[in-house]
Amino acid sequence: MTRIRKSRQGVVVELDDQEAAAVRALMEQLLGLLGDPPAPDDELAALGISDSAETPDDPVLARLFPDAYQGDGEAADEFRRYTEMGLRDGKREAARTVLSALDDHTDARGHVRTVLDEKQSRAWLTSLNDLRLTLGTRLNITEDRPLPPPGDPLLPLYAAYDWLTMLQDDLVNAVH
Amino acid sequence: MSNAPAPVELDRPDAAQEQDPDRPWLAIVWNDPINLMSYVTYVFQTVFGYSKSKSEKLMLDVHHKGRAVVASGAREEMERDVEILHSYGLWATVKRDD
Repeated sequence: MTRIRKSRQGVVVELDDQEAAAVRALMEQLLGLLGDPPAPDDELAALGISDSAETPDDPVLARLFPDAYQGDGEAADEFRRYTEMGLRDGKREAARTVLSALDDHTDARGHVRTVLDEKQSRAWLTSLNDLRLTLGTRLNITEDRPLPPPGDPLLPLYAAYDWLTMLQDDLVNAVH
Repeated sequence: MSNAPAPVELDRPDAAQEQDPDRPWLAIVWNDPINLMSYVTYVFQTVFGYSKSKSEKLMLDVHHKGRAVVASGAREEMERDVEILHSYGLWATVKRDD
């Protein structure tokens, strides 16, 4: 059972073994989706500039890295060329911050109890949000979404989405 | 903002013309069905240093009107703000004021 509360040391997050395993698996999938960092000998990449500037075909990546200009493809491409690599780095780093907290604070039963400082809390919040954007986009979540029909093969994903929503909301309220 | 990517200066020959104070550039946040109202408010407070009441008002504008202007100024500043908003997962765009 998840418990999140504010303490003098920071924000205390407790996850049971199944919850911790779910967060770990989802964060690893997110890292896979974000892809590998550029090769060290890529000179443009070393400056944070990408070769490609196209809006991603994958709707999830297009949501994680949206066009910054509407109706001006050239400006949108230029913005993407100069920002997307840095944004990907930041999202990877945040997901790794969550994974390290799980690695460092799991007990013998697989339960997690970790205390997040301000920077870690921000990494958890943005990463949980990236996971919700990823799942929500795949599930075509809408404002007044109907309940999925019983037996829908995507039910576990809806359940994961709703649980992440609760976790993120509790964390925002504890941080803020 | 230790988590945010470093801003990148773009070399634009028409930069002077783009700084017409009567037509500033705008950072706009759009409504989406996934981002939580509590989280969007938190992002506005954290990124812009806005008060809780101002951040909640902007969040409700996004929610009810579909979008809200969250900052205005020079083009480079607005692009930097939008980049930071993207790092938080908000759907944000840059536009010149009409």
